[in-house]
Amino acid sequence: MAFSSTVKPAQARWQRVMHALLYGNDVDRTVKAKARLILVVVGFSIIYSVIAARLVMFAVASDGHGARRTVSQDAVATARPDILDRNGRILATDVKTPSLFAEPRKLIDPDEAEELLTAVLPDLDRKELRERLTSRRGFVWLKREITPKQQQEIHRLGIPGIGFLTENKRVYPNGPIVSHELGIVNIDNQGIAGIEKWIDGQGLAALHMAGLATDRLQRPVDLALDLRVQFALRDELAKAREKFKAKAAAGVVLNVNTGEITALASEPDYDPNNPREANDPTRINRLTTGVYEMGSTFKVLTVAMALDSGKATLNSTFDARQPLHYGRFAIHDYEPKHRFLSVPEIFTFSSNIGAARMALAVGVEGHKAFLKKMGQLDRLRTELPESAEPLVPKHWGELNTVTIAFGHGLSVAPLQAAMGIAATVNGGLLIKPTFLKRSPQEAQAIAKRVLKPETSLDMRYLMRLNAEKGTATFANVKGYYVGGKTGTAEKVVNGHYSKHKLLTDFMAILPADKPRYLLLIMLDEPQPLPETHGFATAGWNAGPTAAKVIARIAPLLDIEPRFDMPKADQLLLVSAKESTRETR
Amino acid sequence: MMRLLNILVIASLIFAAAFVYKIKFDSTLQIERVAKLHGQIRRERDAIATLRAEWSRLDDPARIQALAERHLTLKPVSPTQFGAFDNLPSRPSDAVPPVDPIAAILNASRPEFTGSIAPAVGR
Repeated sequence: MAFSSTVKPAQARWQRVMHALLYGNDVDRTVKAKARLILVVVGFSIIYSVIAARLVMFAVASDGHGARRTVSQDAVATARPDILDRNGRILATDVKTPSLFAEPRKLIDPDEAEELLTAVLPDLDRKELRERLTSRRGFVWLKREITPKQQQEIHRLGIPGIGFLTENKRVYPNGPIVSHELGIVNIDNQGIAGIEKWIDGQGLAALHMAGLATDRLQRPVDLALDLRVQFALRDELAKAREKFKAKAAAGVVLNVNTGEITALASEPDYDPNNPREANDPTRINRLTTGVYEMGSTFKVLTVAMALDSGKATLNSTFDARQPLHYGRFAIHDYEPKHRFLSVPEIFTFSSNIGAARMALAVGVEGHKAFLKKMGQLDRLRTELPESAEPLVPKHWGELNTVTIAFGHGLSVAPLQAAMGIAATVNGGLLIKPTFLKRSPQEAQAIAKRVLKPETSLDMRYLMRLNAEKGTATFANVKGYYVGGKTGTAEKVVNGHYSKHKLLTDFMAILPADKPRYLLLIMLDEPQPLPETHGFATAGWNAGPTAAKVIARIAPLLDIEPRFDMPKADQLLLVSAKESTRETR
Repeated sequence: MMRLLNILVIASLIFAAAFVYKIKFDSTLQIERVAKLHGQIRRERDAIATLRAEWSRLDDPARIQALAERHLTLKPVSPTQFGAFDNLPSRPSDAVPPVDPIAAILNASRPEFTGSIAPAVGR
């Protein structure tokens, strides 16, 4: 019947489901048991099939965790990148050395440990060692950076509670040859001076904080330095310092077209492997952290300024008949000529009166603006963290202009002066010096035009003329067409200029027709010698030193010797004629 | 039938357990090997770095200069010792052309057919 078929199926369905699940009191026991077994079997086989599927997945998919396991014995100190010179020679590198530590809590007998250790490491302080071994700390350093032989001996002693950790030690294989530029590191391999400190500032310090700088897989730092040139320069500076009994000697080789510092040396210096000497205040880098009145080498800038401003040409003459009086001061020439001098003569005779008149022709404001343009009035910041602020007169009047024209009254860092003079001979572009490798394209990009190219040509020939018949003849190395300017500055002692304490310097360009390198030699308080006929001016000491350096480094810098170059006079006449033709 | 199935299932259970254990053991071995290789690589790199530092120390210009001054009779180079290619004289032409005996022998025997080149068929 239709009625009974709708009511009954609901009940019957429920009952049928219950019957199917064997849930009820009236179901056969054995059937129930069998069904339960089957249920358990099915359940476990599902679980096992899931495990099997996961196994297959693991086997097929490659494991993504390629994380390197750092063993706890690994280096604690930062691994620093190697520093290489421009030819790939190693200047600074890391070497793994063991360091000795103790865990005082695990020590059984501190007395025995102390005795045994001081037998192997005699330079350990006994009291301090005893203090450290008897303290109740968990970890204490005993001696850092011991030799592998010492490590073996201590290991053989078999003292419990003593262990070794390998640390990165910074070694400088070339010793004191490259010292100021590289700088030094402290015991934890953090840079505290020089390029080492600059590397830290470039992000190595941040890496170390994050714990990621323990491996040596970091790109090396390429410097612009050439180790052979550096060695030749430093060797000759040391010899010159000894010969002329100078307090200090410093020199720099600057690539005028790229601003790269190919060599930089300042004697006395230190061995970066023994950083204790670096704190000595006489061992500073005199080229970047010292400021000096450069003397007559500043006349290069004065003459360049006058020529560039149009206030003078190579044919102009200035009155040098009498000393220039300014109030109660009088400017004298070193070798007075008592006549009018042309610009080339002012340069080759190094006339103070002539230079002063040229600067006055340009004017005080023009002079100040020019020197600021040439970067002589502001601190020069390079990659080295150490730099010095130039001493600029607070109130700059005509008397200051007059003295600064020949290099007294304004104290600059010698590297700054080299940068300015490089700009006068490389075509008129001011390029900031750098210690890192720099390509000519990069240099062109950051160069600032400060002079006309014609002015630069005139300056080159003036410097060559000076080397042929001026004060720089001792630096005229045959075959290399050297140009140069000497400078002898009296040092200020107790507020007065002292006639006997001199600072001599020499700027050489080579080769003079198309300069590639500028060499600056500076001697602090050179003494007169019998062979210099009692003179201590730059032409007698800095000039010959520069000649020796050029003879050694010119082949290394790929400068071809040429013996058929015309005299500077002939070239000057041509360029002077051209300038008079233009002004007519 | 059920007994056979039981036996089969128990056997596969034991086999699966043994297999999983073996895989785990092997993977542990491989991980240890990888760690050992990493350690060896690190040691080799450290040794290379030490050797490079030692080489730089031996190649130090100051040391080489001292040794050269002590043992060699070399002097510093002077600018007159360099020459340019333009200054070289041109090669003089020979009055009598040079005789090359080996070329003469080769030309005389005329080896147009070598072992790898067969003579043309039908010629």
